[in-house]
Amino acid sequence: MTEYEAIIGLETHIQLNTLTKIFCACKADSWYDPPNTNICPVCTGLPGVLPVLNRAAVEKAALLAIAMHAEINEISYFDRKNYFYPDLPKGYQISQYDQPLASGGYLDVPMPATPERPAYVRRVTIRKLHIEEDAGKTKNVNGRRWIDFNRCGVPLVEMVTGPDLRSADEAAQYLIRLRQLLRWLGISEADMEKGHLRCDANVSIRPKGADYFNPKTEIKNVNSIENVRDAIQHEIERQIREVEAGRTIEAWTLEWDEDASVLRKMRSKETEADYRYFKEPDLLPLRIDAAWKAAILAQRVELPLERRQRFIEAYGLPEYDAEILTGERALSDYFEQAVRAYGGDPKKVSNYLMNDVLRMLNESGKSATELRLTPQYLADILRLVDAGTINTSTAKALLQKVEESGRSPQAIVEAEGLAKVSDESAIRAVCQEVLAENPKEVESYRKGKVTLIGWFVGQVMKKMRGKADPTLARQILEELLGTQE
Amino acid sequence: MELCDLSAYELSLLLRQRRVSAVEILESCLRRIAQVDGRPGSLEPGEPLPEDAERVHAFITLTAERARAQAEEVDRRLAAGEPVGLLAGIPFTVKDIFCVKGTPSTAGSRILANFVAPYTATPVARMEAAGALMLGKVNLDEFTYGSSNESSAFRPTPRNPWNLDRVPGGSSGGSTASVAAGEAPLSLGTDTAGSIRQPAAFCGVVGIKPTYGRVSRYGLIAFGSSLDCPGPIARNVVDAALMLQVIAGPDPHDSTAANLPVPDYLATLDEGVRGLRIGLSPDYFRITFPDAVRGEYDQQPIPGEIEAAVRRAADILADLGAEIVEGVPMPNTRYGIPAYFVISRVEAASNLHRYDGVKYGYRTPQPVQDLHEMYRKTRNEGFGLQPKLRILMGMYVSAAQYSAQYYQRALRVRTLIRRDFEQAFDPQGKYRLHALLTPTTPTTAFRMGAIYGDSVLMQYADQLTVPANHAGIPGISIPAGLDGEGLPIGIQFLGPDFSEALLLRIARAFERATEEAPWRKVKPQVLQRLAA
Repeated sequence: MTEYEAIIGLETHIQLNTLTKIFCACKADSWYDPPNTNICPVCTGLPGVLPVLNRAAVEKAALLAIAMHAEINEISYFDRKNYFYPDLPKGYQISQYDQPLASGGYLDVPMPATPERPAYVRRVTIRKLHIEEDAGKTKNVNGRRWIDFNRCGVPLVEMVTGPDLRSADEAAQYLIRLRQLLRWLGISEADMEKGHLRCDANVSIRPKGADYFNPKTEIKNVNSIENVRDAIQHEIERQIREVEAGRTIEAWTLEWDEDASVLRKMRSKETEADYRYFKEPDLLPLRIDAAWKAAILAQRVELPLERRQRFIEAYGLPEYDAEILTGERALSDYFEQAVRAYGGDPKKVSNYLMNDVLRMLNESGKSATELRLTPQYLADILRLVDAGTINTSTAKALLQKVEESGRSPQAIVEAEGLAKVSDESAIRAVCQEVLAENPKEVESYRKGKVTLIGWFVGQVMKKMRGKADPTLARQILEELLGTQE
Repeated sequence: MELCDLSAYELSLLLRQRRVSAVEILESCLRRIAQVDGRPGSLEPGEPLPEDAERVHAFITLTAERARAQAEEVDRRLAAGEPVGLLAGIPFTVKDIFCVKGTPSTAGSRILANFVAPYTATPVARMEAAGALMLGKVNLDEFTYGSSNESSAFRPTPRNPWNLDRVPGGSSGGSTASVAAGEAPLSLGTDTAGSIRQPAAFCGVVGIKPTYGRVSRYGLIAFGSSLDCPGPIARNVVDAALMLQVIAGPDPHDSTAANLPVPDYLATLDEGVRGLRIGLSPDYFRITFPDAVRGEYDQQPIPGEIEAAVRRAADILADLGAEIVEGVPMPNTRYGIPAYFVISRVEAASNLHRYDGVKYGYRTPQPVQDLHEMYRKTRNEGFGLQPKLRILMGMYVSAAQYSAQYYQRALRVRTLIRRDFEQAFDPQGKYRLHALLTPTTPTTAFRMGAIYGDSVLMQYADQLTVPANHAGIPGISIPAGLDGEGLPIGIQFLGPDFSEALLLRIARAFERATEEAPWRKVKPQVLQRLAA
């Protein structure tokens, strides 16, 4: 039986999170706004209007290009892509064609290990990276067509990969890494459900090791990374079935039906549309001179995969920790600030972050920068533990208290008397109380069920509301339980 | 002499001396319109009326109340001693290719007949901000596609005030006719291949095509976006300079508008031409056009009367101290029209895509099966012949398989045409010209109906004006005499980028030197009849 490999290329449209649209001063994001409220003569294509380029859109697109290791072209041009559609008010889309903003580029996508194979890295090349305006939205209701022009003129980056991906998992990982990068750079909300990140997938198969391409199909309208993975997986399996049955693959455009988990044929793609591209005469060539480029480069930040590697090397974190801590830029910044404030073992900071702070973030929906538990306060708590002032269970409770009150850990410890009780006589008195109240357990222990020691320690801690030094309590309990023998 | 026959400059002086009011100026213009304009252009004109042939028909929409409100505001300010703008109280007409808030902005087309603009074009807004009175929207070739005004969907179409059997030229024919007939001292036109200069020449008025980008295109309904230039039309050079002063300048709404300060055009207007080098080119004394059957170029000299008017102007300028440089080669002039045919149509077809019946303007009232039928019927019924021809040609030459042969090639020709000018104006070059002096048009105003329908021949009316649009350089057309039939002859000065001040200065020198010429005393036919 022939073994097949999948050849996948992804075409993504990324909505840049500028305040205003790309060619006019209308508000760019209309997710929460009623239809046709963020519009003006320019973005609705009234007679006589002209586009004026939003420089912020160029800068955000350039930041992405730099992060993708692409070359920023000193001069690029806007072109008109001509076609008729009711939600395209000018009858052409202002896009870029043969001389776009950036050329080349790639993204290295780490593929985690699975039981079947070790981890590896897939290099995904970038075929195309350009800026363009979005069109409006069309909705068909009861045979009528409703058009919302709010989205017209929202700035997009179109980014197309080479046919470099070899599985549905790789495609999903690419999108996960791209989404992470877009949020990290702060250039897009990258929310697929809201259409901030849109993806079409081109899929074909060939016998493993072959060096030619077979006809491909294009999958459209997929609105989550999980669905992209599912749709591609279905399509690979369908193509294999077709080829095994002796049929040929035709260049269809397919639509993913999420509810039924099936692909539906939208249309055959017999001929390429002729968009009659020509240079947009209403805009000057886009010139990114040395000064502007330097200003953009100055905004360049360490990228997630770079930071992940540094966390492993500089802080000795396990790959697992480094991966989670660099999932979001704000979290990784928080970690580094806490490590610096603390000065001790970074792994300890990581443990607190991964266990407690992350839960706090998930439950509150806050980002790391919004926490009242600042990196400095977290470091203070760690130092209180190190100094033996509080025990770890107090520390965990303290995290919550700082977050709720915004007060410093020291102040709370003092005000609430949370400092660890190391006074032996006080602990001894409680231990005696506990033994006196639980004669059955004492008897079991003395008959050899020594594992009950933990339970006794727990009872003491409970009575002392967690403030007892557990090591000391254990020593005293062992002593008391032993001497009565 | 009526107030409406005075120049904008003279009216400004009278107004500032409080010898006339803005309302009086306006009333004079409105009286003139009532006397000579006849019924306005309309989509449903019915049968031609006998008196139609006796009227100018410049207007599509008269905005008398808007102008009156503006005039009263100017008078109020003057009475209160408040400052007023440079063109306070001066009426002007607007080619109906500009959007003006609250007015029908039709482009002379059925497809936009019901479109009322919700915003105002930058040059119109600047005129109004300078205190000028917006009198109304004047007729034009449909979407500016023509050189005679005969293609407008709004009929009757304008006639030439010098001879009512002749076309006013185009596409800014309503503008030049309104100025020549004394309906307004100023008009705002547009020039894509000669659409200001050619009708200015035909109607015996002054028209400026500024440097591309000198005047904002915001609000100008686009034809050939890389060629379109708004510009002033006036009865003399001083008025044209005044108007250019007001409408020129950078505009945050137009990124192709030049970010250069606007010089004081009036300050240098009377500095004369002593020491200026003014060129004459044999390539502008003939027209060259392809023979469709043989595929070869034919040449035809321009009429002797027109060449004589240009040479007479050269002699006058030489007498004033200019140096006339003969024999300047402009070899690529002959390719101007073919290259224009391609470039303008690619841009025009794309610019017309938005008129699809979806958002505004005309939509077919017929029942339709689907979206594509709605598009087809709407565009078939809404567009006249000229837009359809341009869409067909534009779609053809921009198709993927033909674009290299036509569109890309035309762009290279455009570069060659620009190079002709660069070499002629190069201060270190062989010719070192300050300006080139040429005829504006190869003929004077032709008869109505004479060549309409022959779009190739009509196009060659622009052969001497279109090179400036390709090159982006400024040009000015001024009256320089009358031919044997009493029709105005226009001459044109072309100069390097942003040389408007210099061109105005040369034109003004010629105008002053010919102030007493007998042809200056002849009035257009419609005004002679009024006097009689």
